[in-house]
Amino acid sequence: MIKTLLVLFILLTTISTVNADVPKPKTPDKAAKQVLRTGLEIVPDPKVYEAKLQIGQSDFNVLRASLDGNGGNAPVVGGIMFSAPRTIVAGLLMFMAMSVAGVLIARSSSVGRAQKTVGAVLLVAVLLGAAAIITRGNAGPPPSWRWRNLPQALAEGKPTLGGVEVEVVADDQLNGRMMRLIIPLKKQNSPGEE
Amino acid sequence: MQDATVINGWPQRATPTTMPFSAIVVLSVLAAAAFAGWLPLQVSIVTLFLFAGPHNWFELRYFLMRLPVRFGRSRNFFLTAFAGLGVLTLTYVSLPFLYNATLWSEEAWYVVVASWNTALMVWLALLVWLRSRQKPRANWKWTIPVALALCSLNWLGPDLFSLAIVYVHPLIALWFLDRHIRRTRPAWSRAYRRCLWLVPLVLAVMIWQLSLATPLADNNGLFWRITQHSGAEVLPQVSSHMLVSVHLFLEILHYAVWIIALPLIGRIGSARFWEVRTVPIARHPKGFPRIVACALAFAIMAVVGLWLGFSVDYATTRDVYFTIAIAHVLAEAPFLLRML
Repeated sequence: MIKTLLVLFILLTTISTVNADVPKPKTPDKAAKQVLRTGLEIVPDPKVYEAKLQIGQSDFNVLRASLDGNGGNAPVVGGIMFSAPRTIVAGLLMFMAMSVAGVLIARSSSVGRAQKTVGAVLLVAVLLGAAAIITRGNAGPPPSWRWRNLPQALAEGKPTLGGVEVEVVADDQLNGRMMRLIIPLKKQNSPGEE
Repeated sequence: MQDATVINGWPQRATPTTMPFSAIVVLSVLAAAAFAGWLPLQVSIVTLFLFAGPHNWFELRYFLMRLPVRFGRSRNFFLTAFAGLGVLTLTYVSLPFLYNATLWSEEAWYVVVASWNTALMVWLALLVWLRSRQKPRANWKWTIPVALALCSLNWLGPDLFSLAIVYVHPLIALWFLDRHIRRTRPAWSRAYRRCLWLVPLVLAVMIWQLSLATPLADNNGLFWRITQHSGAEVLPQVSSHMLVSVHLFLEILHYAVWIIALPLIGRIGSARFWEVRTVPIARHPKGFPRIVACALAFAIMAVVGLWLGFSVDYATTRDVYFTIAIAHVLAEAPFLLRML
């Protein structure tokens, strides 16, 4: 009996030791929640003594609505937004447009076979283009394009305007800091540098 | 001495040269772009104050000039046009009241706006179909898939679609002028169409020059309204200076066409545009001179009322005007189709 208890004690102690050596499972980073897409202007001002972050009243209202839970899933202002019902309606209408256009081209007696082929290819291209716009949601240049001259503009004391997405992230992801501004800039090599 | 002939009620005159006309068009386009790019907010305020009301009066008179005494074969077309005009205008005007009275989510409002835009597209497609039935040689079936595709894009971005209407509407005036020149002064048509190529070039230069301009100061209610109307909230990544300038440039062209170009080129009623009898449906023995006179007189009172409103409370009057003005935007569609 005593031997049994001793073995059990040793076994439990061993298990505890082994468990103690296992590192604490890392909690996955909580995905950042995008709450606002707006414009940001970085303005160097020699007259002020402290950095300021100014936000418009309308943007602030959107932020507050998001914090209150009234902002929807992604209150992205400006641009093509994803919404299941509206996307379904848009898809149905686009399907009807492509179908009717295809029937009209096929039934057109004044159009030759080669022209019909070209028309069909163009229709497919338009369809693919529209699909690309829908999926990417950004038909213009990449947002980073506007920030490409930021270092030069700062050096010259000029303002720079570009788009910005406001995200709410977990505190531990900011490493003790309160806010972080991430600018999409690529390192530019000097002329002689590879 | 030039011979004057009348085609569809419009005097037609031969012209020896198009050079002065082309020079005036080019200078007007460049001047409009310069003013719009230089002081967009200030010029926008002055332009709207001076020309918004009068341009609506001239548009009303132009539409009355184009209205037949009896609808005849076009009965269904005009009934559809007026019914759609009434319903779409009323629903559009009711949207701000609905917005204040309800607490719908942003997504619900997108659906409402997308539905109104879809109704507009359906109405336009119906008008095109009815008009095409009167023109057996015209093949306008391609407009059906185009309308469906536009409806589809509208549901993806209703606010962008509405903004597109704001920017496209001023260009319709250039189309009216084109059709009018072809009827009244065909010798100018080629020169006019060549001059039109200047518009996209000027727009490209404006966008190129102003795309990185510092945003306009919208620190008061009026400036904020002007930038919002030009799409500053819908397109936050674009400089508001560029948006307001481009929109103002198009608006100036729009007003210039309706107030100056169309009355002068058409020589409406031998330049006595204020006389009711120069309107065909008022002059005709079976016409409606009293109704036409009342409509034009009421429109004059509305113009004066608009000026008074702008003087007392510019910002509120601006909001009210741009809400009600959807009627003249819609009215252009059937009358333009009648000219095609």
